[in-house]
Amino acid sequence: MTRRDLLTRSGYGLGAAALHALLAPEAQAAFPNHKPKAKRVIFLFQAGGPSQIDLFDHKPFIKDRFDQDIPTSIFGGQRVTGMVANQARFPVAPSMYEFKQHGQSGQWLSDRLPHTAKVADELCVLRAMHTEAINHDPAITLLQTGNQLPGRPCMGSWVDYGLGSENQNLPAFVVLHSLPSNGQPDQGLLTRLWGSGFLPSRYQGVQFRNGGDPVLHLSNPPGVTRDLRRAQLDGIAALNNKLYARAGDPEIETRIAQYEMAFRMQTAVPELSDVSKEPDHIYELYGPDARKPGSFAANCILARRLAERNVRFIQLYHRGWDHHGGLTEKLPPLARDTDQPAAALIQDLKQRGMLDDTLVIWGGEFGRTPYAQGPLKRDSYGRDHHGRVFSIWMAGGGVKRGISHGASDDYGFNVAEGGVHVHDLQATILHLLGIDHQKLTFLFQGRQYRLTDVDGSVVREILA
Amino acid sequence: MVRFWTLYIVLTAIAMAQNVDYGRDVRPILSENCFHCHGQDENKRMANFRLDIPGDARTTRILERITADLKSPRRMPPVYSNRSLTTQQIATIEGWLRQGAKTSQHWAFVAPKRPTPPLSNIHPIDAFALTRLRAEGLAFNQPAGAAAWLRRVSLDLTGLPPTPAELDAFTRTVPTERAYAAAVDRLLASSAYGERMAMDWLDVARYADTHGFNNDSSRSMWRWRDWVIESFNRNQSYDQFITEQLAGDLLPNPTLDQRIATGYGRNHVINSEGGIIDEEYRVEYVVDRVRTLGMSWLGLTVECARCHDHKFDPITQRDHYRFFAFFNNVAEVGEDGRVANAVPMISAPTREQQKQLAALTAEVERLQRSKPFVDVKQQSSAPASAVWAFSGLATEQQKTTAIPVSKREPMTIAGWLKRTAADTDVALVSNIRHEYNPADVSYGRGIELRIAGSELEFLYADRLPAYAIHLRTKSANIQPDVWHHITAIYEGVGGRDPEMRAHAAWVRIFVDGRELATQVLNDGLSIPDDKTKPSPTTFRIGWDNKRDSARFQGEFDDLQIFIQTLSPLQISALSASKHRQPGYRGPSPQIEAARAKLLVLERSMPTVMVMQELDKTRETHILTRGAYDAPGEMVEPGVPEALLGAWPTGAPRNRLGLAQWLTKPDHPLTARVVVNRFWQQLFGVGLVKTSENFGLQGESPSHPELLDWLAIEFIDSGWNVKALLKQIVLSQVYRQDSNAPADLYARDPENRLLARGPRFRLPAEIIRDQALFASGILSHQRIGGPSVFPYQNEDLYKGIVVAADYPSTKWVASTGDDLHRRSLYTFWKRTVPHPTMTVFDAPDREFCIVRRSNTNTPMQSLTLLNDPIYVEAARKLAERALREGGTKPIAYAFRLAAGRSPDADEIAILERTLKTARSIFAKDELSAYAAVTTMILNLDEVITK
Repeated sequence: MTRRDLLTRSGYGLGAAALHALLAPEAQAAFPNHKPKAKRVIFLFQAGGPSQIDLFDHKPFIKDRFDQDIPTSIFGGQRVTGMVANQARFPVAPSMYEFKQHGQSGQWLSDRLPHTAKVADELCVLRAMHTEAINHDPAITLLQTGNQLPGRPCMGSWVDYGLGSENQNLPAFVVLHSLPSNGQPDQGLLTRLWGSGFLPSRYQGVQFRNGGDPVLHLSNPPGVTRDLRRAQLDGIAALNNKLYARAGDPEIETRIAQYEMAFRMQTAVPELSDVSKEPDHIYELYGPDARKPGSFAANCILARRLAERNVRFIQLYHRGWDHHGGLTEKLPPLARDTDQPAAALIQDLKQRGMLDDTLVIWGGEFGRTPYAQGPLKRDSYGRDHHGRVFSIWMAGGGVKRGISHGASDDYGFNVAEGGVHVHDLQATILHLLGIDHQKLTFLFQGRQYRLTDVDGSVVREILA
Repeated sequence: MVRFWTLYIVLTAIAMAQNVDYGRDVRPILSENCFHCHGQDENKRMANFRLDIPGDARTTRILERITADLKSPRRMPPVYSNRSLTTQQIATIEGWLRQGAKTSQHWAFVAPKRPTPPLSNIHPIDAFALTRLRAEGLAFNQPAGAAAWLRRVSLDLTGLPPTPAELDAFTRTVPTERAYAAAVDRLLASSAYGERMAMDWLDVARYADTHGFNNDSSRSMWRWRDWVIESFNRNQSYDQFITEQLAGDLLPNPTLDQRIATGYGRNHVINSEGGIIDEEYRVEYVVDRVRTLGMSWLGLTVECARCHDHKFDPITQRDHYRFFAFFNNVAEVGEDGRVANAVPMISAPTREQQKQLAALTAEVERLQRSKPFVDVKQQSSAPASAVWAFSGLATEQQKTTAIPVSKREPMTIAGWLKRTAADTDVALVSNIRHEYNPADVSYGRGIELRIAGSELEFLYADRLPAYAIHLRTKSANIQPDVWHHITAIYEGVGGRDPEMRAHAAWVRIFVDGRELATQVLNDGLSIPDDKTKPSPTTFRIGWDNKRDSARFQGEFDDLQIFIQTLSPLQISALSASKHRQPGYRGPSPQIEAARAKLLVLERSMPTVMVMQELDKTRETHILTRGAYDAPGEMVEPGVPEALLGAWPTGAPRNRLGLAQWLTKPDHPLTARVVVNRFWQQLFGVGLVKTSENFGLQGESPSHPELLDWLAIEFIDSGWNVKALLKQIVLSQVYRQDSNAPADLYARDPENRLLARGPRFRLPAEIIRDQALFASGILSHQRIGGPSVFPYQNEDLYKGIVVAADYPSTKWVASTGDDLHRRSLYTFWKRTVPHPTMTVFDAPDREFCIVRRSNTNTPMQSLTLLNDPIYVEAARKLAERALREGGTKPIAYAFRLAAGRSPDADEIAILERTLKTARSIFAKDELSAYAAVTTMILNLDEVITK
């Protein structure tokens, strides 16, 4: 059954305008611009700034330079945050973790990511990401909306706006969030990160919650059975139809259709979130946390289920990577939270034949400094925010398998080659979805805005 | 290609036959497609060719370029620009070129002149609208029924539906014109009017109860919000409304209200993320003020010229920074607002508190006239035990022993001091480490008691200057060479609920046994959770470690530190213990008791952030590419006079002058922008649809003459908002029926032609208020006050808000009436706004919004069906209907919500569901009826005006 069939069969003889408004209200016929490689995106967002130096960016050069100053020639005009403004020195802090090459591709990964290592050949690691923001709020806002300050639509909203929904019973853009197992989430998230900015608010991401109703106000109030709800909705529709006959406003037809979609969501969402029938081997694949609702692992299973239902943009937020001090105590549990589930998600998608058209991304708003913040010991240090170079990985959805792109310099301080700016990443994600980032625009306050602001170029080297 | 040319020739012929108007037809095409590279931005200008101003002979030759082969490098706009002209647009340009390529100034930059209405027998508003309709071959729709009009106008002017009694009174007979006017007067006079009008302004002025960014802690700006409500209710002239918000503090002898009004300039988001660079964010705040000014009153996207000259409008980067200079002189810091208001702020007593203040002050004065001083019995020993004491000259680098202090625990510094005339600003007791780098996140942490001239100052800081309690006495009057007894108490939490922060109200300062009134300069200290233990710290006595700062020259006696508070009685005893001549008379306990009451009241008063000028003007530079750390040429405050009119003669070069310039009767934009927004409030779409942008990229007005007439009328009426609204809602245009044939809706979906009455979904606030009002539970008698916390899902914040213990990281539902206040009083947390509001398109208020989207989504359906507030409203509506609806409860409930009685068919449909519900709820009649009232509150008709 096509979407259109489904709607016309909903029983209220929808007019063409209402149908259009429902399916792809503002969607522009122009999209996709080219054949998409990815039909959907799962962004495993690691808020706080994971330390690339301790996870991905292997720097043998600084191993022998423990506690030496970062040379001025490398430090350059680095803007330092208030957290280290008082620090007299910026001493090199080599990672205490072991790095090895993994898979046929020989991806360098630290020993904190043993499961990720198993899927090394599926990964495309961007080792020279960079951003100009040095604090969480602006950096995360830049990554999600293309601008450091509030007000712009986020990536998922842009995609929904451009491509519309593929599922009539579920929102096109869903947001999940989990808390770190060590109970230290640090910074707050902001609903603007899944907000639609100046795009109509129907494009905002729908936040799935970990307890109670997965979607706010999804359940009927106590005592209201599904039959009664059906009877109420039939009555509302009958009255609204009478009104439409008199008033002539097509918005009334759209409203009738939205009530029907709400009704369908009441079945579709619980069905989606009910993971009780997932087989044991799936729980085992995703690891020990997978049975804990709201954990990163459980949310990865949910993300896969959303992907199976063609939800187009799935954002999963994991918090707690802001390791200014005590990194060596705080990073291992965070890595453990995400390592196995993220690797499992790749394997799971692959075994279902979905990895080819699902783009999975793992990364945060910036990285961390190769120099120490606060006291420095071989096995104990902290690191400040670092935007000049950091690492993220992508997998599936039209990116090359088992490659690294770009590199940092010997100190892991600056981009040495293959730099990818946040706007380039965004352009690339849109490209994989079949969208030319320069064409997906919205006229606001007299100006055509786009996700990538006035920059961004597709990282062609990583396209499969 | 042949097809192109055929079409093209036809279109050109059409364009030639019609008069091509540059402003209406041509400039929008050029602006969108050409000005980017051939406009005023020198840095982007190609081939040194400008199309945005007349004079370049090459203009006449553009036809060849815009029709060149698509593959040719001569083709304009070039393919790489992602812009292209349609055949129709090319034809229009050719028509324009052939007609002489005449240009004209953009309409919005030319001051409006009062146009003559085209018809004289009807109201000018109707005359302009009808003339346009006739040109389209249309006419006015029939008038809406009296009840439908009353519902519409009630919702528009008060945000509340008419009561059955009001409907009855109005529709008993066919209402006369006088009855219509009287109904409008009644609505305009109700206090709900100010609340309704404030609703839209809060979006524009980006009002919220939190600071935004990822800490998103609480702020207190509700006194400003209440000022807005009052301003509309007393029908303050709109030019004053502008002036006081922009520059109330600069008016001669500003009143408290006028200073509160300037909160408009401080409603912007403020970042307290640890470690940000202060200047980077301070600049953002100033930029935000410019943007908000532009959107609020100029209808221009001035902020587009932050990084470069405006791409479309004749606003240069220099213009932007000249506006910026007006707002760049505030005594503020970039990182602030971690737990409460950011500096600068003032104490802002409510009307009630102002009355109490006056009464208590009078009482104190009365007592003082009779018996100011009394004998105080001298006592020799302190009744409390100090943890440290000192007497003598603080000549060495005197320090205390280690004293355990904690923000949760009390601490008192008390003792005698004799200052010398030389002591003007020195630390008495200090453990603040001033030697740190001020950019560091913990710069200035510590406690300090200072003497500044004859006043005392107390500081308790996590970081200076932002995260601190900072007070100064108002009349300590500490004289040189005289022994004074001083006491500074920090009370700690005590038995109170600290509301997740420390409070300046916990600090009390006494001199010579009298408690003193204080001025709170900052009140932004956070408080750690209970687990934190007091930490031992040593204090410097008579000096601080700031480089080059002065040493206290005088003498101390019995200077003591206590880890407890002292009672007024104990303080009184201490201050009478020594250094007093025989026959010493101390302050009267009776007067002190009265003064204490007054001081308690003062400490309880809310604060509000305001605009306040620095003594020394901060220089403003053009910022290269808008970057805070790339200052270029210095500029002075000023406005684009050539474009928008001359600076008023004699006006000061500050915000006050700016307000005078904006409200000049011949200003081309202000009045138009304002009346357009009121029109938008009533009709859903402004006469200029892009109500935020009247510039070249904005839409032309649908009814230019009507817009100008309204603007002039508004100015001539003395910027009288109520008079303006009254004229509009009484017009035939507004009174039209909004029901219309579907083909008219298809032809004109947004009703730009005004061939029917306005019909659009109500704003979020009004949907909720109406439901609560209809069900009889809206608490709408009380106006204003602190924001309230209606039901919100308990775990909505879980997993989202910052992990630290800051205010507004937990939502604790209000109790009693506060659960059902009008929605504009709902606590507005920017990063997680109340979902019952945002689901119906209320913005997060992170910055100025003059036009909300109006969407139609399944999440809205789920909200109206299942959100506890709507479930409660439906139930209460059912109760009310059963109680008051006699034999026809369903019809009564329907009328309460929809403002009309249902027909038989509609009743039948509702009763059918009632039957189903009864079969489910058996004898629970109320629940069965609630199932029906739920339907009523969900009807499109009910949530639409």
